[in-house]
Amino acid sequence: MTVKIEVVAGGIPHTKIMVAGLLASLVCLYLSYLNVYTNTEMFSFFGGLAVVAALLWGSHTVKVLCSYGIGTGVPSAGMIAFGSGVIGMLLATKFGIAAPIVALVLAAIIGLILGYLSNDVLNMKIPTMVKSLTELAIVGAFTLMGFAVLMTGSFTFANLTSGSVTLLGQVMPSYEVSFIGGSLIATAFMLGALAIQHPFNACLGPGWTQDRMLMLTAECGFLSMIVAAFMSFALVTSGAALISLIVALVGWGYTYTEYMKLGKRDAAAWLDLKPIPDVEGH
Amino acid sequence: MTAVAAKPAAGGAMNPTAMGVGFVLLIILLAICWVVAPVDSRLMMLYALIGMVVGGVLIGFGTHFVPVGGAPAAMGQAPGIATGVAMLAAGAGLAGLFGGAWAAEQGLVVAVVTGAVGGGLMMAITCMMVNFIYVFGMGIPAASGKVKVDPITGDTQPEYKSQGTEGHGLPFVSFVGGIIGGLLAGGGGTLIYLRLLDLYKATLPTMMKATESQIMPIAISAAGIFAVGMFLVNAVLTAYNITGTIEGPHDPKFKRWPRAIVASAVASALCGLVAILIVVM
Repeated sequence: MTVKIEVVAGGIPHTKIMVAGLLASLVCLYLSYLNVYTNTEMFSFFGGLAVVAALLWGSHTVKVLCSYGIGTGVPSAGMIAFGSGVIGMLLATKFGIAAPIVALVLAAIIGLILGYLSNDVLNMKIPTMVKSLTELAIVGAFTLMGFAVLMTGSFTFANLTSGSVTLLGQVMPSYEVSFIGGSLIATAFMLGALAIQHPFNACLGPGWTQDRMLMLTAECGFLSMIVAAFMSFALVTSGAALISLIVALVGWGYTYTEYMKLGKRDAAAWLDLKPIPDVEGH
Repeated sequence: MTAVAAKPAAGGAMNPTAMGVGFVLLIILLAICWVVAPVDSRLMMLYALIGMVVGGVLIGFGTHFVPVGGAPAAMGQAPGIATGVAMLAAGAGLAGLFGGAWAAEQGLVVAVVTGAVGGGLMMAITCMMVNFIYVFGMGIPAASGKVKVDPITGDTQPEYKSQGTEGHGLPFVSFVGGIIGGLLAGGGGTLIYLRLLDLYKATLPTMMKATESQIMPIAISAAGIFAVGMFLVNAVLTAYNITGTIEGPHDPKFKRWPRAIVASAVASALCGLVAILIVVM
């Protein structure tokens, strides 16, 4: 028997969020291709925006999936999303400009098979399992690809595996200074996995509201983007990295204040106290 | 309906049709690997994929031994380590994987054993500290709720079990189960990593037109991230199999392992195939 703990009452329907998230992150990933046309790296920040869009969709999918009592905790959904996403994303980068589309298809196939395995072989019998795991795999792949674009300015395998170092005025090719060779992908993996599972994990319960959770997701996404933007200083030009950093900081600042407002709106009561009150004479 | 009353949906029953489909999928995936691989390196790629399937199965099977308590354990209302499978697997299994990765140059056997010892050690430390906190911090004795007598020590359990709980703390059998789980999962994760690393070391230089020492960072990093991804996929699938919590090898849920073996084998073959396709395509 399947018991659904919470129902999605009101708010934006999941299908709408899914379509919006999918389109927004695809468009943002492709907008980063302006880097190639203009021969700069100034448009890398679109990768970060793709991350935020994909995460918004993903965290709502996590909510849909985890509303059924899957019993494994919310973080496991984030982990399987990125575990399957990274595999699809890495192969997809081999396809050049088609990479985001290939990532979408590949991750969907991987997610579909994993969903079948969980639902039928492992007998989970949860109605949205197949659909949710498919969505999560795509979200994982898009998020990682977004981070790749943000840090390197490109989503092709050749550019993700090779970089250059300047030694005594000489520019030398190096495989270590790259997204994959330098294992920045591992950091991107965890930044994304934490950002996708945290919002629902933090907001779940009887007081769950959709706008608050999605705002928290955006906040987590921009927070991850700040860290990724710092790392991008190693791989893209300082100007491009600075643009990414400013976009991330502005986005984070806005979403954080908005989230605090929503948090206060949904709280039963709150008192604006100093963190540690000064107590005298004791 | 409150969250407390909502029980996980999965039952203990096997689904023979789905298991059959799983086997067929596994064969198909292995066949795809055989067909798409270049003729002169077919056997190497097939061995690599089979190694990854074995590694994935070891992770899936090993996770069944680990006493995962989840949120109830954090409140002292169920036995086990008070966190979810994904976190435990990431902690213990990846510790093993990193341990094995250090020994990668010492050969397959040494590296896999090192990985297994790393995972087992991490679980042993985790289990011991968990019991320290349970006994000295929360003041509760270790008692299993699923069996009357500890299968290893023969200690009776119900006398120590608080009313209204499913047991608490980590009984000896759970402790041993945790270490066995860490050994299997750490070894399995290392096996996946080593198979991929050997494959990438052999194929990436020609693909990227560079020397082996130049592509080593990429081979190591790509093999590592794939191993982590496959590790988490297998661990979460196993978590779904045991619906989140298990006490250890004495738990009735342990009997569900055949399902997880099939699921892990297919999932590892799928992910492994994609990882191989990177150097084939």
